[in-house]
Amino acid sequence: MVVSIKFLGMQRVVTNTDSIDMPITEKTRVNDALQYVRQQYPALPLEEGMVLVAVNLEVASLDRILRDKDTLSFLPLISGG
Amino acid sequence: MKILHQIKYKPAKVVGGYTDRILRVNLGKQEITVQELPPDFKNKYVGGRGYALKLIWDGTTRETRYDSPDNILVMASGPLGNEPAFPGTGKFIVGTISPLTDTFIDSNIGGHFGPLLKRAGFDALAVSGISNGDVVILIDGDAQTISIAAAPAHDREIDDGALSFGEKLMKDVNGGEYSDSLAAVTAGKGACNARFGIVNSLFFDVRRRRIRSKQAGRGGTGTVMRYKGLRGIVVRSSLSKVNGNNAIDKEGVRQAGSRLKAVVSKCDPQQLHLATWGTTGLSEYMDKFHIFPINNYQYGQSPESSKLFAQVFLDKYFSKKIPDGCYYGCNLACAKGSENVELTRGPKAGKVVNIDGPEYETVGAVSCMGVFDPHFVMEYNWYCDEYGIDTISTGVTISFFMECFQRGFLTADDVGYELTFGNIDTADRLLHEIASGQGFGKIVGQGVARGKKWVSAKYASRNGTSQDTVMAELNKFGMEVKGLEFSMYITKESLAQQGGYGFALKGPQHDEAWLIFIDQVHKELPTLEHKANALKWFPLIRTWFNATGLCKLPWIDVRNPEAANTTEPSKNLPTLAYYVAYLNATTGSNKTLQDVLDDSERLYILQKLINLRHGKGTRANDQIPQRAIGPAFFNEYEARAEYYDEWLQQQLGDNKVPASPEQRHKLLMEKRIEAYQYLCDIVYEKKGFTSEGIPKRETVEKFGLMDEQARQLFNQLGI
Repeated sequence: MVVSIKFLGMQRVVTNTDSIDMPITEKTRVNDALQYVRQQYPALPLEEGMVLVAVNLEVASLDRILRDKDTLSFLPLISGG
Repeated sequence: MKILHQIKYKPAKVVGGYTDRILRVNLGKQEITVQELPPDFKNKYVGGRGYALKLIWDGTTRETRYDSPDNILVMASGPLGNEPAFPGTGKFIVGTISPLTDTFIDSNIGGHFGPLLKRAGFDALAVSGISNGDVVILIDGDAQTISIAAAPAHDREIDDGALSFGEKLMKDVNGGEYSDSLAAVTAGKGACNARFGIVNSLFFDVRRRRIRSKQAGRGGTGTVMRYKGLRGIVVRSSLSKVNGNNAIDKEGVRQAGSRLKAVVSKCDPQQLHLATWGTTGLSEYMDKFHIFPINNYQYGQSPESSKLFAQVFLDKYFSKKIPDGCYYGCNLACAKGSENVELTRGPKAGKVVNIDGPEYETVGAVSCMGVFDPHFVMEYNWYCDEYGIDTISTGVTISFFMECFQRGFLTADDVGYELTFGNIDTADRLLHEIASGQGFGKIVGQGVARGKKWVSAKYASRNGTSQDTVMAELNKFGMEVKGLEFSMYITKESLAQQGGYGFALKGPQHDEAWLIFIDQVHKELPTLEHKANALKWFPLIRTWFNATGLCKLPWIDVRNPEAANTTEPSKNLPTLAYYVAYLNATTGSNKTLQDVLDDSERLYILQKLINLRHGKGTRANDQIPQRAIGPAFFNEYEARAEYYDEWLQQQLGDNKVPASPEQRHKLLMEKRIEAYQYLCDIVYEKKGFTSEGIPKRETVEKFGLMDEQARQLFNQLGI
């Protein structure tokens, strides 16, 4: 099983890629994916309170179990100009 | 420059953020008056929008229109503008009776004009009357003179351009040199020909060594300015910017400012990167979540959108490594700019220009026309600024007519050419026709609301159908409310933002309530109750920013990490605490956040009263086009069928959704229209309004606004 992690905006500049795949098991949670990305890209700012994690276009909690072919992305807290 | 009338004055000292003076200029009578304000004026009306509202409530009538001599053009900062120790203090408000909405409009604008007006001795400038010939106003705090002068005539290239004329004017009044001791506002030739003319705010950027500009874009404030015969206003003061407000507690100001600056420095590089990208960074997120207003808001996403993402503008256009604040001391510095861009289209093709922008809204406006060319965005940005027309209303109105063409309501014979989405040549041609008032641009320059009437009359007479029938169809996709064109967000999937646009007193501009991400993506407003509470709270706090001379972005677009520990993170209350501290330190007050909200509610209710007086204040005026509620046409439904079918299933519970897509689409729209009406009921109750959207008498009395005019209005309304 695998999930796709998409990089948006400045994340794409830092990682130099649009997306990566991450293998998962039936117990893999959103937080595991977050840790995985932090290890892969230490320069990527993903501090707690700074970004939200979206799974398939919906904001998800860190303990959500991931499913095969889920798409994750990290969103800034946009509240509007 | 020929001086037509001049007075001498002694600039009032700023104390605690106020000068307690308004400068009144009547261009018809060529009168200049310095008005002292009574002590309780500022306590009740705060500043900025509040001052504009009160001056227009008292000084105009229900018969006043944008072109009436008694219409007043107000420019006002606020008690917290003009302080480099705190981020985002260069804002001021331009308020008037709008040529688009026929009621109060205001638009906020950055730059140095507001702070310099205050240092020159005035909390606000109120211009009434209509001049016989074109004039400029010169407010010189150094020479202690205020003058009405004949507008200087140069060559046509300079005189027709709001930017070109302003740059020349700023140089001419300062012995041929630019200086950051003066700033100007101007309106261009496009404002003479379109109802959505803007006011440009020009200031000298000492780092770039050039004049930069910001815009009061919404609602036709520039059209009013030009109609008055007012080409420009220059204000000068050499007084120090530091502690410009003469704050009561200077150390308190310093502390509040340094706390906010620390949050901005730490968080913006991890969040929206406004300091790097400006607001263009939003395009990618809007596209991802189906909010980008492609083809007149039909589709929220396109494979071509990435051509308009922020990195494209950063790589190709934005000047790098130059701080971009539109006023001193703002470390968010989001006002991006580009130098030496060659125009490839239009009457100035071949000219190399400096461009301030684009903002997200301008990028969105171009996508609204189905165009995905970044260079066209830059050119469109510059031409709109130079002509003095609103990038948003221009794009949305062109898009409306493009869709009329797409759906067969217009023909090439009506327009003079094929008007199709995505055709840059056509979009470009129409832009110049709008500005010059020629060809089909003459019609488009009237905006969407009047455009609907024109198209319905034309189509009905050609096809022998009733105009009402045609109008009902056009109302589905004519993206305006109260006469103002929507700003650049698709609201189909966010009920809260539908209300954010529908209830907005000036019309669908997001500066009153931008709830779309909080609702649709962050899911921070899960219930109707949450949405309704947000639709009361956010307009109030946002009103306060517009009354005080502050930019909202350091608060709302930089989320303080401590907000995560609060029950309502989207309010960003830890950062708002810095703002309340800044207010108290500046003015010497001892207000709480609730006091601030109460002050704002008074202004909000006053604006509602003006809307009621001008026939734009009831539930009927808060209704939004079907396209803002959901997929108005089947092609839009098909493009997001999976999402809509799921939503419909949730609404129907155990009942089965209809089998045919056409039936599902019909039922979906019925349910969404129903939801919006239910939202209206709840929100009106929260705001202290009747079910018709009218403030109850006790609501008006609570805020001390039941004067004789309000009493008469309520009697006429039968309330």
